[in-house]
Amino acid sequence: MKSFTQHPIPLKAPFWKKAHPVDVAYIGYGLVIVVMVIGSYVLGAVNWLPHDPAAIDMALLNAPPNTAGHWLGTDFMGRDLLTRLILGIQAYFLPGLTAIAIALTVGSFGGVVAGYWGGRLNLVVTYAANLIDSFPRLVLILLMVAVFKPDIYLIMIVVGITNVPIVAGLIKSKVMLLKEKNFIEAAVALGLGNFRIIFKHILWHNCRALLIIQATLGMAEAILIETSLSYLGFGVQEPIPSWGNMVQAGSNYFLQGQFWPSTAPALAILFTILGFHLLGDGLNNILERKTG
Amino acid sequence: MQTSALKPIARLLTKELLIAVLLLLGVSLVVFFILYLAPGNPFATLAGKRAGSNWHQIQDNEPSGAWYAQYLHWLGRVVQGDLGHSTRSGLPVFNEVIKTGLNTAFLTIGSILLTLLLAVPIAVYTARKGLTAIGWGLTAGSYILAALPSFWFGYIVIYICIHQFGVFPLAFGADASQWRGIYFLLPVLVLGLCSGTLSEMVRYLREELSRVLTEDYIRTARAKGASIWKHALREGFVLPVTEMVAAKIPFVLGGAVVVEQVFNWPGMGRLAWQAAQDRDFPMIMGITLMAAVFVRTGSLIKQVVHICVNPRASQE
Repeated sequence: MKSFTQHPIPLKAPFWKKAHPVDVAYIGYGLVIVVMVIGSYVLGAVNWLPHDPAAIDMALLNAPPNTAGHWLGTDFMGRDLLTRLILGIQAYFLPGLTAIAIALTVGSFGGVVAGYWGGRLNLVVTYAANLIDSFPRLVLILLMVAVFKPDIYLIMIVVGITNVPIVAGLIKSKVMLLKEKNFIEAAVALGLGNFRIIFKHILWHNCRALLIIQATLGMAEAILIETSLSYLGFGVQEPIPSWGNMVQAGSNYFLQGQFWPSTAPALAILFTILGFHLLGDGLNNILERKTG
Repeated sequence: MQTSALKPIARLLTKELLIAVLLLLGVSLVVFFILYLAPGNPFATLAGKRAGSNWHQIQDNEPSGAWYAQYLHWLGRVVQGDLGHSTRSGLPVFNEVIKTGLNTAFLTIGSILLTLLLAVPIAVYTARKGLTAIGWGLTAGSYILAALPSFWFGYIVIYICIHQFGVFPLAFGADASQWRGIYFLLPVLVLGLCSGTLSEMVRYLREELSRVLTEDYIRTARAKGASIWKHALREGFVLPVTEMVAAKIPFVLGGAVVVEQVFNWPGMGRLAWQAAQDRDFPMIMGITLMAAVFVRTGSLIKQVVHICVNPRASQE
């Protein structure tokens, strides 16, 4: 255990100097992934791609990496894998953000209501959270898909709603902790309105980090859910590429020993999810431990 | 334990039971409304189709009734175990769901046990020793497994089985050879490793255990020379484990949908997939309700364990 009298790093130092190097590495890796995701999204949006994503080359089916100008090889229809990997993020970006937005807004609303006012409202929010938690997410999505239609936004709305209880629970315990603190009591004594206290002093100053962490985890979940649904045939539909349906399409050739067309998107998923998880974890260790 | 201490526990247990019933009612209401709001209100047509030859009965089931009348009518049937008949196979949904539900229960419970079997040693090790090279490697491994698409991992496992062991590991429909054991174990293995619960379990258990290990009463125990583990067991192990298991049941049930598909496991998840494909509304409704019952039962058991381990903390 370190001594409390001598602190080798001044307290005013920026947080990355005080942090454990492992956490900094996590965050660094996570940020690289985030930049790559945003970069791919922009590349796809301005259509600046190495190949035409829909160009079929029947002479080059399931080609290994680095053949005939295809850096990552081709898929089962001879389409360029790298292009489709870059475009694949489009399938997640806006839908994932929708899911995150729903989870964060509804979750913080519920959490603040339950934590700040407590009492009956707390009971109502707890009930609603437990109710949502009662549904396995994938089963609920299958129900929605059966009743309405397989649509990525509908699916992501369900993902967002099923993430609400987690966010609400975290915000609630945070608010209950903060309510006891002097500065909130002082704000109340000063006659600040509830609205201002909640938005400025609680959510903005003290729950920012928590919400960012939940957003990164939410993006990871959106990708994993879409992958599972693609496998089940309810995700993004061919010929629009998504990593999920690429793994799924490639895995049909798995037993013939053609690993690559399925493994390339699977690795993309692995590295991306890992990036978002580690980013969330590193931020959590650095930002939340300090205040909590 | 004295009888005076048992009374509040009994009261807490009844409270939990009541909450579970209330939640299941809420679940049924949500499921009802999803179908009620569906295009063309398939709910009403379903009820009409299912009615007998009696004209009054048909009229009874017509969509003319208000929503709460339809709901109560439906709920009455559900409580009696009548979930209607599958529009695909014509079989009663309740029997089908129970039959496949048992297979899914076996799969989920097995995989959760496997996850625990891996997560607990890693968590204990890293909580005690800190993040050493081995601890770091184990944690990183759990993260990587959580980030893999489970069906891709499943295909790899199948591939290895075929090419290394020369067996075709489909859970059912295979011959009763000496490899039969493996057919049952593979889905459990894939779901246990890849459902995304492993890394979260490791993290949560580690954090809880390291928090408890710094508490005053553990320091006292250590100073006395008593066993730390005996003192840390309740708060540092039993409570977080039950908490995590109950919280992860919905996740694992969701993961089971995919894994059952990969290994052709005749469970509820496969049935749900089939029902979603065919828009078999009674079936998918029945499965959703049954899954919710699973989840609620798990969380009820968790609450019972928590109340028994620490009755005072559960009183709020």
